[in-house]
Amino acid sequence: MVSLGRGVTKAGRKFRTRISEILIFFLPLLFFTAILYFMVTWTIYVSFSNWEGVEPKYDFAGLRWYELMFSLSRTHIDVRNNLIWLIVGVLPTLFIALFLAYFLEIWGARKGESIIRTLILYPASMSFIVTGTIWSWMYQPDKGVINTLLRMLNLSFLESRFITDPATANYWLILIFIWQYLGFAIIILQASFRTTELQEMVEAATIDGAGKLNTLFRIILPNIRGGILILLSLLLISALKVFDIVYIVTFGGPGYSTDVLAFFMYIATFQQHLVALGACLAVIIFVIAFILVIPYTLYALKRWFT
Amino acid sequence: MNKSITKYVLLLVLAIFLLWYLLPLYVVVMTSLKSPIEITQRTYLLPGLELRFENYVEAFKLSHMSIINSSIITGAATAISTFFGGLGGYFLSRFKWKISKPLFVLVVIGMFIPYQAVLIPLVQLMATTRLALTYAGLILSYVLLNVPMASTLMGTFFFGLPKELEESAEVDGASKVQIFFRIVSPVAAPAYVSTAIIIFTQIWNEFLIALTLSTPYTTPITVKLAEIKGSYVALYNLQMAAALISSLIPLTFFLVLQKYFIKGALAGALKG
Repeated sequence: MVSLGRGVTKAGRKFRTRISEILIFFLPLLFFTAILYFMVTWTIYVSFSNWEGVEPKYDFAGLRWYELMFSLSRTHIDVRNNLIWLIVGVLPTLFIALFLAYFLEIWGARKGESIIRTLILYPASMSFIVTGTIWSWMYQPDKGVINTLLRMLNLSFLESRFITDPATANYWLILIFIWQYLGFAIIILQASFRTTELQEMVEAATIDGAGKLNTLFRIILPNIRGGILILLSLLLISALKVFDIVYIVTFGGPGYSTDVLAFFMYIATFQQHLVALGACLAVIIFVIAFILVIPYTLYALKRWFT
Repeated sequence: MNKSITKYVLLLVLAIFLLWYLLPLYVVVMTSLKSPIEITQRTYLLPGLELRFENYVEAFKLSHMSIINSSIITGAATAISTFFGGLGGYFLSRFKWKISKPLFVLVVIGMFIPYQAVLIPLVQLMATTRLALTYAGLILSYVLLNVPMASTLMGTFFFGLPKELEESAEVDGASKVQIFFRIVSPVAAPAYVSTAIIIFTQIWNEFLIALTLSTPYTTPITVKLAEIKGSYVALYNLQMAAALISSLIPLTFFLVLQKYFIKGALAGALKG
């Protein structure tokens, strides 16, 4: 009897701790995640509706707005520009950061490290609005900083119209993006260099007489796949959803030459009040983002659950 | 011979790189301390005749309300999402239930969801609940969007934590809840700090949600700065002073807490 009674309370206690575990650890995360995906689903639903104007309208319109979206030349320009952003914005950042991070490591600037790190990180703590404001001033064609300095140095032939030149404006914007994210990338890579296992491997390779570049490509790179993968994903997504830089520096201009999907989405939804069209653009952005993060998700899944 | 040429080329590249990296900061500081007339003289590398700190006073007058707004919104949203991120991260790293795996996938992808994909429903939700007119609307939006990131960062830290301590506490009869709050959380302090820095910076610098959901009473600093840039077009000194003021708070956090930032969750995130 006694032992049975104790058994029941034990089971009861176990049941109660289970409930509290669910309430405290599981439900909040489930709740937030559910709302997030509920909203994504809602956006997809809106993209199939006929919502024009300020008041919500959910009557089914099928693919009407998708057809419209794909027929617009603005969409084509945007997709092209987004592709340029993804390639030119992300890959150079990754490679320059990799070499600089490695350079800082072998240069062994451990003494001045906190100063160097401060200098490396300062753009990362600024918003795109701040960097956009700053670089608008640098790029301004007639009074701007860069052109003025070039004239002063008798290098006028290097002068550029920068962001007012439709042919190259995208690249000048992307340069702001690289400026902003480079330090962040360096810090992440440095952190992943500094695992004990990797340090030991590098030491062993150095004793064996491996060159610096050889060490970087043969030993370090294969062993920081995780760091590179998360950095790559972060950079790709940031380049994909770029909106602030375009808004503050060029507002999509000249013409549509620096327009991107995220900017068009904002304009379509909140200025032209073609909410269904905005939702279509949002769905496209989401789908691209989803595809881009699949490699990292699979990697993380493998790491955590096997 | 060959080696020294490579060395010089390398040094040249490095010099151009440093110029590109540091010149903006230098010019911004110089410009922010000049009068508009001095700026028209285009001696951008030289300091002005007198350092006009009143530019900063004026820029602060223009932006101080929005700095307060941003502090309230960012502070609250960071605290809430980091707290729930800790709980969620602990769940993902320690509870191997059937639902853990799918939830993990949703959370990891959720970390990368572009804000555009939820913007229309978010505005609609905030408008119908009338939260759009308050701080709560913005705070809630940011919490929703940052809990996945906080959970992943915290979870990766817990994942790398040895389980022995928790297991022995469990043998002694402590519940998971007690273990989490009494044993794990104190150890996780650096991870909490670094997660908070990352999320704080992200929210402080956020523009899209801020632009669409803020009212004149809740305008955050990024939106205010865009306004200043638009309405004081020629007053570069004021623009630059305001830009510097608005970066001061995240920059201070970065500098004071950078050790945590690097050694904490980030380093953990990479191992995981």
